[in-house]
Amino acid sequence: MKHFTSAKHIMMGTMGLVVLSALSGCQSAPEEQASTEQAEGQNKFLVVEQLSSGKYVIVEEMPTTGPSRAIIKETDENGTVHERVMSEAEMKELADQEYKKMEAGQSELNAEPQGEGMGLAGTILAAAGGALLGNMIGNALMNNKNVQRHQDASNRSAYHRSASGMNNSATSNTQKKSYFGNSASKSTTSSSSFGG
Amino acid sequence: MVSLQTIKPIDDRTLEQFGFGWHTDSDQSKYVANELVVVSDAEAEAYYEAVNELYDMYATAAQHVIDNNLFFDLGIPFNLIEPIKKSWENDVHWHLYGRFDLAGGIGGAPIKLIEFNADTPTALFETAILQWALLKHNGMDEERQFNNLYEAISDNFRRLVTLFDDPELFEKHYDGWKILFSSISGNIEEEQTVRLLQQMAIDAGFESGFEPLGGVKFDDEGIYDANEEPYEYWFKLYPWEDIAIEEPELATQLATIMNNQKAIILNPAYTLLFQSKGMMKILCDLFPDSPYLLKTSFEPLKGVTHVEKRMFGREGANIRIMDTSGAVIEENDGPYGNFKPIYQEYVEFPKDVDGNSYQAGVFFAYEACGLGFRRGGKILGNMSKFVGHVLR
Repeated sequence: MKHFTSAKHIMMGTMGLVVLSALSGCQSAPEEQASTEQAEGQNKFLVVEQLSSGKYVIVEEMPTTGPSRAIIKETDENGTVHERVMSEAEMKELADQEYKKMEAGQSELNAEPQGEGMGLAGTILAAAGGALLGNMIGNALMNNKNVQRHQDASNRSAYHRSASGMNNSATSNTQKKSYFGNSASKSTTSSSSFGG
Repeated sequence: MVSLQTIKPIDDRTLEQFGFGWHTDSDQSKYVANELVVVSDAEAEAYYEAVNELYDMYATAAQHVIDNNLFFDLGIPFNLIEPIKKSWENDVHWHLYGRFDLAGGIGGAPIKLIEFNADTPTALFETAILQWALLKHNGMDEERQFNNLYEAISDNFRRLVTLFDDPELFEKHYDGWKILFSSISGNIEEEQTVRLLQQMAIDAGFESGFEPLGGVKFDDEGIYDANEEPYEYWFKLYPWEDIAIEEPELATQLATIMNNQKAIILNPAYTLLFQSKGMMKILCDLFPDSPYLLKTSFEPLKGVTHVEKRMFGREGANIRIMDTSGAVIEENDGPYGNFKPIYQEYVEFPKDVDGNSYQAGVFFAYEACGLGFRRGGKILGNMSKFVGHVLR
């Protein structure tokens, strides 16, 4: 009986996406910040899966310090699953189109959800509208009850960002000390000095 | 005989794009092999079973050391005994991850424990990310690898909050506690290893920060980044024994912080017990019939080929292989000669057709969760190469 578990990119979260992007030729080193005007940590890594109904749901959602990215898993008529990486620019374009439709009253986000999942653009807008289109639109989406209901109906991910970050600042008046004066930068080679 | 499959390498520039900058060793040779070790499902299963059992044995042995005050035998610095006991008493000092180095396990050779890197293991990026990327790059089935390291460590970060409960309950209990990640400055491998761990923590749902070791601030009330922002957890990729010996004032400070319950340090101080090679002698005393142990003693072994190691030696340094008469066959110098020696029965590593030796590294994060290999000579040192694997 097999007890060990195998590698799957879906289990490798943000790093899996970073590697897939690099292998497919899209540059996206984790250090590169795509949208500096957005608050850090808002950018999203999404895994979006197509249902047999043709609609889409979010199966993984994580914050990332790199640019927003999505893996889209779609099933063709033969039942073969195809995966593609969607860049932040593509996500932004889709979200922007859907938001314009919403403003014109032509988006499925304007009405209450009909079952699980929705179109790809709507799914991305509901999940990452704030990160992609800015805080003002993000807030407008947050306060829209229909969008919230759609989000609940199209997002299976366990992730819900904790809003209650610890904001207690250091109030202690004691002298804080640093160490590692001699050893903190003694190694200048690229090889580990003690990795074992 | 080790069975290999040749693959197409990933070019240096692409490796650098996803954060793997240490692809070339100081002699300009490539650090990552263009081959994968072919491993059967049964062999992977055996590694999994062995490492889970070895970890349980280590936990039993640690309790034995604490109960019988055997710290001196293991070469534990006196100023870490209290932090070790303190961290052992309370489950919140959760062991994030470690790596067992093993001989055998492939080609019919039995699995034998070489050592346990429990405090500051590297080869994490290679095992979790790089070897999986090699499968992807070569159009191979990504599921044919014993490697759920990324997810296992992410889940173990969640267990810092949920402990023995389901890590899925993390979001229910998490209250914004932050983890500060630190490595020494100027070392790409160590910094990227720590940044990978930080990404795993972010994926788990934690708030976090990064500060090089020299910028971290301490007082009796806690641990802070350079902006004096306090953190509830501090992950340091820096050996506990080096803190004890080179920064004794910090060792005292960290003991106070732990006593005041102001911060939790990862990996916990008790992982230094696991890290001490002297533990393998204790394991032999407690589990004389274990198939995974090589005979280990504080005295040279008589009548068998054996290896002299130092309690806290790393990366194959300060190792001497001696034949049955005690004559030295092979040796590596190094900076660890001041630590006490231990003596372990010698075992051959599995070899490929060219005579290269292979040592398995199996990561443990709550359970065995990822396999990788190092390739080199009789003693696997700092110039050994990383070799990924594929299941067949």
